[in-house]
Formats: sequence, structure tokens, C-alpha cells
Amino acid sequence: MTPRLWKAGATHAALITLVLLITFPVVYAVIVSTLSFQQAYVYPPRLVPGTELWHNIVEAWDRVHMGRLFFVTSVISVGTAVVKIILSLMAAFAYTHFRFRGRALLFPMTMVTQMLPLPVRILPTYEMMASFHWINSYSALMFPFFASTTGILLFRQFFLTVPRDMSDAARMDGAGPLRYFLDILVPLSRTNIAALFVIEFIYMWSQYLWPLIVTNTEDMRVVQIGIKMLIATDQISPAWNVIMAGTIIAMLPPLVVLMVFRKSFAEGIAMQTAK
Amino acid sequence: MKFKNWLLAGLALALGVCMVPQAAVAAGKVEITWWHAMSGSNGKVVDAIVKDFNAAHPDIELKALYTGSYEETLTKYIAAYRSHTAPTIVQSYEVGTQTMLSSGAVTPVYQIPGMVGETWDWAQYVIPITHYYESGGNLWSLPFNSSSEILYYNKDLFAKAGLDPNRPPQTWEELEADGKKLLASGAVKHVLSFGWPDWTFEQMFAVHNQLFANHDNGRSGLATKVLFNSDFGVKVIDTWARLAKQNIFIYGGPEYSANAAFQSGQIAILIQSTSSLAGIEKGSPFKVGTGFLPRFEGYPRGNSVIGGASLWVTKGQSKAQLRAVWEFFKYLAQPKVAVEWHKGTGYFPSVNSAVQDLLGEGWFSKDQNYLTAFLQILSGRRDTAAATGVRMGPFVQVREFERTAIEKAVAGQLSPKAAVDEAARKADQLLADFAKLNR
Amino acid sequence: MANVVEEERFPGHPLLPYLLILPSVAVIVLFLVVPFLQSVQESFYASTAFGTNTVFVGLRNYARLFESADFRNSALATLMFAGFVMVIGLSFSLAVAHLLNQKIRGQGLYQIALIWTYALSPAVAGVIWALMFAPATGIVPFVVAKLFGGGLINWMMNGSLALFVVSAAATWNMLGYNIVFFLAGLQNIPEEFIDAARVDGAGPWRIFWDITFPMLSPTTTFLLFVNMIYAFFQVFGLIDIMTHGGPGDATNVLIYKLYRDAFLYLDTGAASAESCIVFVVISVAAVIQLNFATRKAIYAR
Repeated sequence: MTPRLWKAGATHAALITLVLLITFPVVYAVIVSTLSFQQAYVYPPRLVPGTELWHNIVEAWDRVHMGRLFFVTSVISVGTAVVKIILSLMAAFAYTHFRFRGRALLFPMTMVTQMLPLPVRILPTYEMMASFHWINSYSALMFPFFASTTGILLFRQFFLTVPRDMSDAARMDGAGPLRYFLDILVPLSRTNIAALFVIEFIYMWSQYLWPLIVTNTEDMRVVQIGIKMLIATDQISPAWNVIMAGTIIAMLPPLVVLMVFRKSFAEGIAMQTAK
Repeated sequence: MKFKNWLLAGLALALGVCMVPQAAVAAGKVEITWWHAMSGSNGKVVDAIVKDFNAAHPDIELKALYTGSYEETLTKYIAAYRSHTAPTIVQSYEVGTQTMLSSGAVTPVYQIPGMVGETWDWAQYVIPITHYYESGGNLWSLPFNSSSEILYYNKDLFAKAGLDPNRPPQTWEELEADGKKLLASGAVKHVLSFGWPDWTFEQMFAVHNQLFANHDNGRSGLATKVLFNSDFGVKVIDTWARLAKQNIFIYGGPEYSANAAFQSGQIAILIQSTSSLAGIEKGSPFKVGTGFLPRFEGYPRGNSVIGGASLWVTKGQSKAQLRAVWEFFKYLAQPKVAVEWHKGTGYFPSVNSAVQDLLGEGWFSKDQNYLTAFLQILSGRRDTAAATGVRMGPFVQVREFERTAIEKAVAGQLSPKAAVDEAARKADQLLADFAKLNR
Repeated sequence: MANVVEEERFPGHPLLPYLLILPSVAVIVLFLVVPFLQSVQESFYASTAFGTNTVFVGLRNYARLFESADFRNSALATLMFAGFVMVIGLSFSLAVAHLLNQKIRGQGLYQIALIWTYALSPAVAGVIWALMFAPATGIVPFVVAKLFGGGLINWMMNGSLALFVVSAAATWNMLGYNIVFFLAGLQNIPEEFIDAARVDGAGPWRIFWDITFPMLSPTTTFLLFVNMIYAFFQVFGLIDIMTHGGPGDATNVLIYKLYRDAFLYLDTGAASAESCIVFVVISVAAVIQLNFATRKAIYAR
């Protein structure tokens, strides 16, 4: 075999091993989700899939009212992503196509938002939610996350690559800035919009601490807290089989979103890193 | 311009969705809300009681909401109170008692009958329980779910080791001797573990009538110093550390983590809350026995401490709401409701009449284990602050310090004296702060 | 962030830019800046749980924290945890990305098979790893015991081991994200540089250190920062599910300690002080990373 084939073979071997290693935890989780309560506690631990998957899924779904959790989480994930996309597009457009006082603020603003993730302001934000009477509402779950500049930077980067001629041509045709923005710039940004959607959706779907403290009732809980509720058993051992079934269900939506928009996501990132 | 319209419409819609719609209250009904931390099967019993109450009182709508753990419920209550959206009734755990007393947010429960033009006999409640929650001789909150701690043991393993399966160890000295026999029999690698090591530590003080903190255990005034690093405290921790070295005691983590080891026969003795009784009996494939908390020979007798939670009423309720609250509290005191609560959850019934009914129907002879906890509480002292249990503002944090001290001493990282001294130092600072802030 | 626009593209719309940025700025000021300033203010006060009494205590909250062994322990745990996630995580991800970057068949498939872990939330990662390390029946302790002998120990009851497991879980969680970015960064490196170096007789390590690594520095800097933010803040769910900060505070990283102080102990002053300390740490780290990156980037030219 030529050295090149050796190298290719070794690379494949390494990659396959890595894939197996990295995906093993999830594979194991899936296996456990097919076992019964006792089977999940045998020693040595069992690696052969069982037959209880459907039963466990139904049990997990019922125990924490997964349907409602999915609804709430979907609303806040999609809603926040959409709002952030809209706000970021608008702001990036302003920063790249206009001269105005305060434009230099963008960079400091970015730095500030990056260094002030929610936990750094969690108590006052929580108190703010209480004073607005927003506790246990969609507003409380979503509004604090609208404040972020990730999207602004993303779109700014992209808008800078759009040739000047496009806006000049639009102006020549008598189109105002908003017309240009809506009819040309935004459609052009499709890939980046999809990429940002993936990022924000996954980010919101994964939220744990904030929904934990800001929601009270079961009908406003999110999926991540549902997982916590599945584990929180009082005096008995955790039902790993049911917990894993619930976890698998919880994993699916962000996975689906990532897979569906995979190409745009990868392209968007590539665009970011190409400086 | 079309875009801006869309944007504004979208934001308006979003805001509209965001506002939690207020449930329309049926005309004529007085609505009261109750935030509690009873999850799982306990939560189901709560729901059943609430449903029956609402059915029996068609002019009242009691809404019970599960708002998370005790800690979460309290935190949310505070935020709600400060934004004037607090529920009518809130369940606060026993360690939050001083926080609630100092809050200025509640109407003391003992004042409510007078406020609604009724009288009430507070002596119908089980005394050690009321003593725990009283302040200045009066009940500021209504005892609701009370438990205590007992010793569980595996009768089968005892028999295998040549010990009398009907005689659990009554003192730590006996426990040590029994432990050695159990280890020698090869049936187990470790003998004893606890749930709630911090609570168990506090229990030891109350059971031996030793004060845990100054100012009469924080009951005659805000505690400013802890007393648990006394010789007695050192003795307790030292005993546990010594037992650990002999592999008799194994540290079981906080709360209920040690239950699994007991239920699977890996340990023979478990010191745990009475609220675990039903679960342990159901989940253990062997005969479960129970006994009182082990004592140290030569020390006075006190009582075991009450744990659990009580119900507090937010101040500023309307007359109609107060009346509704009072109807609910009276309902809870009915023996059949109290019995239903006990049977469904394992918590003590808070009224004497219920205890009598249970005795009468032979509930305890059906399962002797249920009697153990009662006997322990009812046979102990009820007249000293030490036997009633400690009350502290920063109780939750002090419990963390206790737990760390136990962990470090048991693991051999610190001598028992150094461990409790360290915990005491930290606790004293917090207590001093609390006392100053809440003067 | 140089000024790219020279002359107004759409003259005659003086107000429009302000209107466009207004929602973003409003949200940032209201939900970010204001609460943060309040945090700073609250850090100088001690208050009762119900807020019935608030007393100005100056720097006492900060002094108490720095003196307290618990805080120092928490800071140390955070540093070790974040260090693990950042250093081990990025090294491993870079290695994998490098492998992925080879011209082999099925590259797309491998990419998918490695990236998807990005979609897993920290809580999900936590629960899966909790399963693998469950006491008495966890599969990893079992395999380790079989491979290396010794008894079956409960990893989660041992402070250092628990911290290790939690760090490993967090690192695993971020693998997908890191690999995607490193891959993109690697693919941006012009082939000519590598080929030229190879022609000059440079071995793979030299190529890596002299060309690849410096040219990756924007990506590396970015990822270091993102991983740091993740390790400091987003892992809360993972820790809450796996260890609750235990055993014995071994995994009580700063964000968890902050949560405890704020929501369990109801100590607003201490929690606010901790928030500010974390902010300072992150800011300093960000500034250092930024300087380091600019210097390296210039060097790369």
C-alpha cells in the first residue's frame, strides 16, 4: 500500500474511533431508555437494548407533561430567535449603511454584552421581572435574552461584504433605504439568518437557570426543567430508563433544527471565520 | 413603512401573548391561593384535599400551586411579596421559620380567629409540634406537614448476624457493639448511614436536652452564637468519626441519598426522616424494623426535633379572604382530613383527635413502625427550649456548615473539634449579621 | 472596527438609523446595563431576605468573600473547571478538526457525526454523564474497574473525581461547537502556505506551529472566549443535575455558589458581590485574550 493509502486508512480509523467515543454517551443513553426500571439497575451494567422504549417515552411524557413543556419551549425558542434576528438585522443595517453619531458605540456595546451574561445580573433582572408582574410569563422567559449583539456582529460582517454597487443601483432606481433593506439585503442574508436561527434556537432551548427561577407553575416550565423534574424523586432511586427516554425526546428538536439548517450553519460560521 | 408596521404589530402581538391571562374568577367566589412544595405523591394528596375542600365550600375557590422545592417556593414568595403579588397562603419549611417571623410579611395565624370573629382551641394540636412553631407562646404559622427522625434497621441482617431482630440498638454504645457483630458476620461492608446528617446532628442535641444555640436556642431572642461546638458536640462528631474509621458508619450524602444503600441491603441501619417510612417499607425486600434515635449513655433526656413545614398567611388580606383562609385551616384540623393526610404521606397528623382516631382504628397495630415516631415524640420532654429544637435566621447556611464539618471530620481531614469550631465560627458571623439586620 | 462607509449611501434619512438601532439599544440598556448597575449597587449593601432592612456596608461583602475559604474554594474549582474545558477541550477539538480537514472520502458524513453534539444542552449532557457515572451501576466506573482492577468506587462521592467528571462532561458538551469553528478556521488557511512550507522541507509539527496555529489565532481566541463564558455561566444546568455543587462543595463553581447565595441563602449582598467579581474576572480575561490575539495576528502576517 502506498503511504497515501496508509495515511488515509489511519485517518479513517482515527475518525471512526473518535466518532464512536464521542457518540457513545448518547448511544448508551438510548440503550438505557429501552430498558425497564430493574434492568437499568443490574450489575454489571447492561448494554443490550430492551423493549421498553415506547413505555418509557409515554411514562416520561406523562410524568412531566412534556407536551406543554415542548409548547412553551418552542414558543420562547422560536420567538426569541425571530425577535433577535429582526433586531440584529435592523441594527446591523444602521451601523453599516449610515453615518450617525454614536456609531462608534457598537464595539463597546458588544464588549459589554459579551461580558454581562445573565448570571451577572440575575438578581436585579429577577426583581425587575417581579416588579413588572412578569414572573411566570413568556415575557420574563424571553425579554432578557433580546439583549445581545451576537447577531448584530454577524450581520454587520456580512453586510460589509455586499458591494456598494447594490445600494447605489437601488438608489438609482428610486428605492429608499428600507425598500433596499427589505427587498435586497435581507433576502441576500438568508444563509446568515438561518445560521443565527440555529444558534439562537439551540441557545434558548438549552436555557435552564433562568426558567428555573422565573417560572412557578407547571404550565410555564421548559423542557430542561422537565428533565430536572424527571430526576427529582424524593426517596427512591432515579428511574434512569424513564429519565433517558425523556432526555432523548428533549434532545430532538434542537438536533432537528441543527440538521435541517446544517449547511447554512456551517456556511455562516465559515463566513465569520474568514476575515 | 410597511416593514415598520409589521414590526410594531409583531411586537404588540408578542407582548399580548406574553401577558399571562388572569383567570376569570367565578362571580361570588372568594379566591385564595396557596403556594406549596409538595411534589409527587404528596402533591396528589394535597390536590385531593383541596378538591374536597372546594366542594364542601362552594363560596370559596382555593387554588393550590406547586411552586417547586421549599427553597424555590420561599424565594418566589419573597419576590412576589415585594411586587405585591404574593399568594394568600405559603408553605415554608421549618428552617425558614425565623426568616418568616422577621419578614413583616405575615399575619400571625393565632390572630386570625379573632379577626374573623371566632374562637379556636389551640390545645387541640399536638404539643411538640406547636412548640416548634410558636413564638412568644403563640402560633404564627399553622403546622402542616411534620416529620421527625428515627432509626430504621434490617431485621433479616440482624438475625443473620446473631442479633435479636426485635431489638434495635438504643444507645450509640450498643450500636457500635451491634455494628461490630454485623461486620463480623460478613453480611455487610458498612453498617450505618444517615440521611440529613445536619438534621441528625441537631437531633442529637435535642434528644439529650442540649442547647444548640444561645438565647434559648434562638427562641427567647435572635440567636447570636451557636453552642454546637461544645464538648457534647465534639463528642457526637468524634463518635461518628470513630465509627467511620471502623467501617461501621459510612457517610451517606445529604437528604435521601442513603436510602438506596439501605433498601438494597448494603447497610443494615439507617437514620432517616419518618417521611421515608412508606417508601422504605415498599422498596425493601426484607423486614424493616424501627427504633428511637440512639442515645449517649449518661446524658439527660430531651426529645426528637420536628421537621417539615408550616403554612403562613400573607398580611393585608381582605376580611372575606381571611375568612376563607380560616375555613381552610379549620378544615385541615378535622380529624378525618388529618388522618387522610397522614395515611397518604406519612407526615404526623397535627391534631390530637386524629391521633386518637388512628389509635382507635388500630392503624398502629397493623404496622408497628408507624407508631415508633409518635412514641418518640410524645414520650419526650416538651418543656425546654433545647428539646424543642433550634431556631436560626440563616439556618440553611448553618446547615451547610454543619454538613461540611461532619464530612471533614468523618473523612479524617479535620479533627472533630477543629471541624465543629470552624463551622461554629462561620455560623456565629452569620448569626451576628442576621441579628443586627433584623433588630 | 474601521469606518468603512465614506459617504452617505442613502442621504436624506437622518432619523432612520436611530430608529433602527433603538429597539436593540433599548433592550440592552433596560435588561442588561440597568440590572448590572443595580447588581453593583446591591453589592455594597447587606439586606434582609424580605428587603425590610438594607444597610450600607461598603466593601464588607467583598472582604468577606475574599476571606472566606468557601469562596476561595469555589474560585479554585471554577478555575480548574474552566481551565480543563478551555485547554483540554480546544486541544482535543483542534486535533479532531485537523483530522477532519484531511482530504478523505466521507468528510461530510464525519462532520455531521461529530458536530451534532452542539445541539445538546448542558442539562442533557449532565444527565447523560450522571447516568454513566451513577453510583453502583454506572458503566464508566464499571469499565474502569474491570480494566484497571480495584473495587467499584462511587466517583461522584469523591471531590476531585467528581470535579473531573463534571469537567469532562462539559468539555464533551462543547466539542461539536469547537470542532465546527476550528474546521472553518483550518479551511481558511491558504493551501499555498502549507505547500510552500512542505516544499521547504518543514515537518508536520513545524508547519503546525509556524503556520497553522498562528493563522488560527482569531478562531482560537474566539473559541477560548466562548468556552470561558460557557464554563463560567452556561454549565449551571450541568452542575445542578450532576452534583448540586457537591460533594462537599467540590464542584461548587462560582455560578453555582452565586445561585445558592442568591436563591437559597437569600443573601443579596454576597450574591451581587460575586456577580461583580465574576464580571471583573471575565473582563480582564477578555482584554488579555484580545491583546494576545491582536499581537499574534500581527505576528502571523
